[in-house]
Amino acid sequence: MDFKLTDEQVKLRQEFYDVCKELEKKKPKGFAGLESIYDTDEGWRYHLYCAREFAKRGWISIGWPPEYGGKGTIMDKVFFAEARGYYDLPGIDIFGPEMLAPTLLGVGNEKLLKRFLPGIGSGEVQWCELWSEPNAGSDLAALSTSAVKKGDHYVINGQKIWSTGAHRAHWAFALVRTDPNAPKKQMGITFILLDMKSPGVTVKPLYYMDQAHVYNEVFLDDVRVPVENVVGEENKGWQVTQLLAGFERSSLGAIMMMLRQLEELVKYSNETKVGGKLLAKDPLIRSRLAQMACEIEALRSLGYRIADAQSRNEMAGFEASGVHILASELQERLAWLGTDILGPYGQVKRSRWAPLDGWYEKWYQQSFVLFIAMGTNEIQRNIIAWYGLGLPRMK
Amino acid sequence: MDIAFTEEQEMLRKAARDFLAAECPKKKVRDLEEDSKGHSPEIWKKMADLGWQGMVIPEKYGGQGMTFQDFTILLEEMGRNILPGPFVCTVVEGALPVIDAGTEEQKKEFLHGIAGGALIFTMAHLESNGLFDASGITVKATAKGDHYVLDGTKVFVEMANVANYLLCVARTGKGPAPEDGVTVFIVDAKSHGVHVEVMPTIGMEKLCEVQFKNVSVPKKNMLGKLDNGWTIVDNVMRRGAIAKCAESIGGMQAAVEMTVAYSKERVQYDRPIGAFQALQHIMADMWTAMQTSRYIVYQAAWLESEGLPSEKEVAMAKAYVNERYKWLTEKGVLLHGAIGTSREHDIPLYFRRAKAADIRYGSTDYWKEIVATKIGLVS
Repeated sequence: MDFKLTDEQVKLRQEFYDVCKELEKKKPKGFAGLESIYDTDEGWRYHLYCAREFAKRGWISIGWPPEYGGKGTIMDKVFFAEARGYYDLPGIDIFGPEMLAPTLLGVGNEKLLKRFLPGIGSGEVQWCELWSEPNAGSDLAALSTSAVKKGDHYVINGQKIWSTGAHRAHWAFALVRTDPNAPKKQMGITFILLDMKSPGVTVKPLYYMDQAHVYNEVFLDDVRVPVENVVGEENKGWQVTQLLAGFERSSLGAIMMMLRQLEELVKYSNETKVGGKLLAKDPLIRSRLAQMACEIEALRSLGYRIADAQSRNEMAGFEASGVHILASELQERLAWLGTDILGPYGQVKRSRWAPLDGWYEKWYQQSFVLFIAMGTNEIQRNIIAWYGLGLPRMK
Repeated sequence: MDIAFTEEQEMLRKAARDFLAAECPKKKVRDLEEDSKGHSPEIWKKMADLGWQGMVIPEKYGGQGMTFQDFTILLEEMGRNILPGPFVCTVVEGALPVIDAGTEEQKKEFLHGIAGGALIFTMAHLESNGLFDASGITVKATAKGDHYVLDGTKVFVEMANVANYLLCVARTGKGPAPEDGVTVFIVDAKSHGVHVEVMPTIGMEKLCEVQFKNVSVPKKNMLGKLDNGWTIVDNVMRRGAIAKCAESIGGMQAAVEMTVAYSKERVQYDRPIGAFQALQHIMADMWTAMQTSRYIVYQAAWLESEGLPSEKEVAMAKAYVNERYKWLTEKGVLLHGAIGTSREHDIPLYFRRAKAADIRYGSTDYWKEIVATKIGLVS
């Protein structure tokens, strides 16, 4: 067992950090996490700018086969995710590069790959996901948006919800029901790509609790989508969603973001006096920050284990569920700790009164998004219990 | 990066697992808890035949010259099975300090004996003030001719009741820092004036009070340099913390396996209790707590094994694992229901040891304060 990196890895990792550090300097004031990519035009422009900067170095396509312009390994992808996480940079969202690209590489035909991979790799085409519906959340297979084949097109009708960035994205990958009479609800679903500019697509904002525009409702009324846009086979879309093998599962991006926040809180505590006494000398604050440091480190070492196992094709899916649960919960606790350390100023939005650019007021509200997205933590616990521990499955 | 054990290491793990299961079933563990010695000389002898006591001792002193990481694999299995006895204290508090700080003469005198299973070592560190750091050291050593004379009382000295030698951490002087003026002496446990009494503790692992009353120690038995002995104790604390963590992740593994198996067997409301989601989610959290503990410990053990700076990572690992082990085994007891509280059941063996492990080689608060400094908080 060996945690050492090779000289090439050390060098590459340094390069990722150096570039990301430079890009951070151009970050708009008050930019914080996922929400800032989609909420303002300024944030979206910064996202596209970072995407181009990464694309020109070939970093969006790390891990893709060389014939599609890819290079590098899963480990390289992890180091890149760490650097982006540490500097909280956009540029790579989970939809195009992280979800769709590996899916296409897994089951997409040559034509789809040639048509769509270049746009993802260059950052020029931005994607969103049309999966959840008002009555299909955790039980995603219950979705009812219908797609009826008419000649060389499907006609799609239905409503999608919680579509992150649908108001900005150019294209979407959707799950639709093509066979309403299939014996099981997981059967009869199709994975299909659609142009967000198609007639009949209406995007309505679903404002987040802090007023940000991140999520949307998407209404699909007689939207015509060519049959050739199906990924995998018709009625086999559920299997396609289960094939996100290339998805990097270590959570190390989120973990490094937490490490950076911890460093910022240490700095703040070292510089801030309350009642004439440095916060850093308060035993309670020392203990709470130290506790946080321990938990981040424990998660980080598990993240490396996941990344290492994944790069050797030895990772079980439920292992990644464990790190996902802890990373999301820790992210929330870190946000709460930050607001606590700021005292009464922990509630202030970005303004002349807000310490640390108002990050923590924002983050307090954003931090638990990870609890819900990509499978709630309750679902993740089911996965560990059923597949990891062999406990009886809920009927 | 290769976060998996080598084939040889997996073989060592398997051999250890099989040996311990055969030699030390849980009935034996409970018997040893109630035995006055607290360990089995027969098992100790067989372990020496396997080369375990000498695993980290260089070959020229009768050992196997293997790595600290290899040693932690054994410890993980000992924690999983539970093996009462003086293995950790003999290696971590005896062999390693002698290897680091001993004179050639001391190495020759003691290391062969340890490797062969003839000598049991332990360190007399803590005092009644309960402080892990150097400010707690008040037992006095006074020079007298070619001897030092030790006076004072140590507590929580592991297996002193069967030890052949005690490394006594004594105060020989004063300096600007509490670490200055601390010296370690290798004391023959049979010396006149050494009085040992077993303390009844939660882990029932024979932690002892050791009184030193005018105990005369030859100067040649000083370990390391006069007044500069704290480094030895520091090393023991750090490696001991890793050792306890390794045992703890083994114990977590056992507690998870035992609890999951029971939940599949135990039927209530016409179904195995493991089919209830309320319990499934607790077990999923137990498993996750074990996994995070596992890799932070492997990382610390690897750093130590490579001779790289490891104090920060060790501090984080110990502070983290202390709390996770207690939490996990408490859930293990609770998921067993009433039967889980019985003396005859195996799960409370782990629950009690989780508390003992937490205190051994530095409590959570002790290590957290070190973490606070290491992450850069001004003190």
